[in-house]
Amino acid sequence: MGSNLYWLQCGGCGGDTMSFLNAETPDILQLFAGLDIDVLYHPSLSNSSPAEQSSQLEVLSSGEVPLDILVVEGAVLRGPAGTGMYDTKAKRPKKDIVAALARQARFVVAVGTCASFGGFGAQTEIEATGLQFNRSEPGGFLGTEFRSKAGLPVINLSGCPCHPQVLAGALTALVTDTELALDHYNRPLSWYGMMVHQGCTRNEYHEYRVEEETFGEKGCLFFHMGCHGPLVTGPCNKLLWNQRSSKTRAGVPCFGCTSPDFPQNHPFFNTRNIEGIPLDLPNGINRAHYMVYKVMAAAAAPERLRQRRTEI
Amino acid sequence: MTVRKILDIPVNRVEGDLELRLEVADGVVVDAWSAGTMFRGFERLLVGRGALDGLVVTPRICGICSTTHLMTAAKALDDVVGVTVPDNGVRLRNLALMVEHIQSDVRHGILMFLVDFANPAYRDHPLYEEAVRRYAPLAGEAIIEAVRETKRIIEIIAVIGGQWPHSSFMVPGGLSYAPQVTELLQCRHVLGAYRAWYERRVLGCSIERWQAVDSLAALDAWLDEKASHRDSDIGFLLRFGRAAGLDRLGGGHGTFLSYGSLDLPGETAAQGSGGQLIAAGFARGPTVEALDPAAISEHVAASWYTASDGGLHPSEGKTEPYASGKEGHRYSWVKAARYLGGPAETGPLAERVVAGDPLFTDLLKRQGANALARELARLTRPATLLPTMAVWLNEVIASGARDVYVNPGPITDGSGVGMIQAARGALGHWIAIKNGRIDRYQIITPTGWNGSPRDSGGVRGPWEEALIGTPVADADNPVEVGHIIRSFDPCLVCSVHTVRKGRTIGRVRLEA
Repeated sequence: MGSNLYWLQCGGCGGDTMSFLNAETPDILQLFAGLDIDVLYHPSLSNSSPAEQSSQLEVLSSGEVPLDILVVEGAVLRGPAGTGMYDTKAKRPKKDIVAALARQARFVVAVGTCASFGGFGAQTEIEATGLQFNRSEPGGFLGTEFRSKAGLPVINLSGCPCHPQVLAGALTALVTDTELALDHYNRPLSWYGMMVHQGCTRNEYHEYRVEEETFGEKGCLFFHMGCHGPLVTGPCNKLLWNQRSSKTRAGVPCFGCTSPDFPQNHPFFNTRNIEGIPLDLPNGINRAHYMVYKVMAAAAAPERLRQRRTEI
Repeated sequence: MTVRKILDIPVNRVEGDLELRLEVADGVVVDAWSAGTMFRGFERLLVGRGALDGLVVTPRICGICSTTHLMTAAKALDDVVGVTVPDNGVRLRNLALMVEHIQSDVRHGILMFLVDFANPAYRDHPLYEEAVRRYAPLAGEAIIEAVRETKRIIEIIAVIGGQWPHSSFMVPGGLSYAPQVTELLQCRHVLGAYRAWYERRVLGCSIERWQAVDSLAALDAWLDEKASHRDSDIGFLLRFGRAAGLDRLGGGHGTFLSYGSLDLPGETAAQGSGGQLIAAGFARGPTVEALDPAAISEHVAASWYTASDGGLHPSEGKTEPYASGKEGHRYSWVKAARYLGGPAETGPLAERVVAGDPLFTDLLKRQGANALARELARLTRPATLLPTMAVWLNEVIASGARDVYVNPGPITDGSGVGMIQAARGALGHWIAIKNGRIDRYQIITPTGWNGSPRDSGGVRGPWEEALIGTPVADADNPVEVGHIIRSFDPCLVCSVHTVRKGRTIGRVRLEA
């Protein structure tokens, strides 16, 4: 017995769809075929007529046709003044469609940081929010009490964009009734229970506090370049991107895009610090201990790292 | 007696949200209004942020061309500080951008345009069964191959910049990282494999053979020459497109714009014009003029922003929202970009016309602009980029992949411009820095040109104009309208202009 899936795009850039198209083993076609998922509608892929799309929305919203999986990409735009008129479909606020479909779906999946937490439009004039969180505050658009028909909260797959393997893996778990343990932001621990830093090829530079001060060096990006790798969770350096690499490996600091607080308000590419030590320290660390450790680590740095002779 | 009616049509597969209002008389479109229905808020969100933040924020404007926004933002900052990017930095930036283009052209061409030929509206068409076999959503053989191959070519961007989409590896002065030569050697294989697939599947011939197609007559001869030509995606586009009359529909204003793109490194075997691989210019029909950036303006007469008289240059433009809901003449969140006060279309067809490409110049002279020529230009653009991509990749490898960055020092106060060709056409970022922070940021996207609403003079935007004369056989399934719109490869998520909190907006209805 197969499942069906409806993909709704709200206030976002379409980047989670583009990222999903990069999924490997399975690719998206193998994923849907292998799990017998019928994609009722995807805004970038479906070729149904406007009339069919509109009648399809009606029978799904009324429950006449049961909906298994609702995937929402992009934030719910409530502005201006709660009307939702900054994002409409057929003259109707898109937020009303989200509400109608979420009530009927067995599972609701928020793909990407915008759908999970609001992302770029949160705290701005467009009044963007995530489905069940607004930034890190529980509630969001659907409210803390919301449960889909399967009794689950919205499954949040944050990231800007969401890693394609995370979405493919989460859909596989849902369809096969495999339990997904969630963190306190309702993200599966399997992918959000590790730091972005884990697996970065610059880790040895990090250990010995050999730090980049300008672009194009080989050092760690944490002390000066604004890297969030040791601060936020995500599978970037375990799964890698596009089967190849990650931002931090390529000298681009992690911007913390899986975090409910993404985007930060202070400038990117810059680490706020107290006397040369980052203001935001790796999760759970005592500042005094960290300062002592880093002084000793820098003193112990081998010459091949100081001279940046080690490949990354 | 003429039967007139008004149709409201939502259009998907356009990267975002687009709705059309059409006035149809006796089954033919006689007037059109195009409305961007989502509003996201990026330009004002950038004001007050760190000087480099455009490198992180603007790629998030668009999921399909994030590297393009990154390049434009980086070039605007290069301009602010006056830095010259070293040759290998130029080559690797270009290479990443070109990978994004050839990914986008194929994803759009096959997943978003050709898929319409498998629409049930054509169920009685003699080519329908073949169209379904090739392009049925999530199942057609071309769809399967396009998904598989486009994600592979993107691996090159990940090698250079860490990930796709949404990395920030281009920085003022060059790149954040010099890939290892051995990684770039692997990219040669990735590029070679994509080219081989593209030649076999999309062109049905070698790139060299395709480059010899230099007129409408040569195109007809090419189609007749071999079964592999007719069976390719280009061959099918031509066969089905002509049968559906797409070479006679979707004309528009006949004005074309290219900002020019892909700076040539100081030393390179690649040939270009005016220091760039893709030429800059403006054309009326096939007649090309030099580009004058000062002739660009944005109008808001039909957009939900406060009115200004005439148009403003983007270095002076404002983004002040205003929508009373009762006026009727404002109907879109997209502003109206204009050149010399008039509309211009941009994209792959415009690039080829501006470059004086013999095939597309001949098509224009004989048929005028049309939806088929526009999509043909898009799906064959990779043939114009792939050979130079190999040249630049090899030049980087030969020079040891060194010197991809020069440190320009702190970002000084001042203003800068980044103007390039995105996959969908002309893209510009205009930035001003004050006290180390972003003081202004204005963006004009390709869809700001192609999908613009009416301007202060009431002149339609390019695809509004292109829709005039389009037949609508079935109001519930207006597939012809979809072909015209999608031939422009719309990207509505890039309609980025932002609004201020606290304003109210009524429910705006378009007045026919």
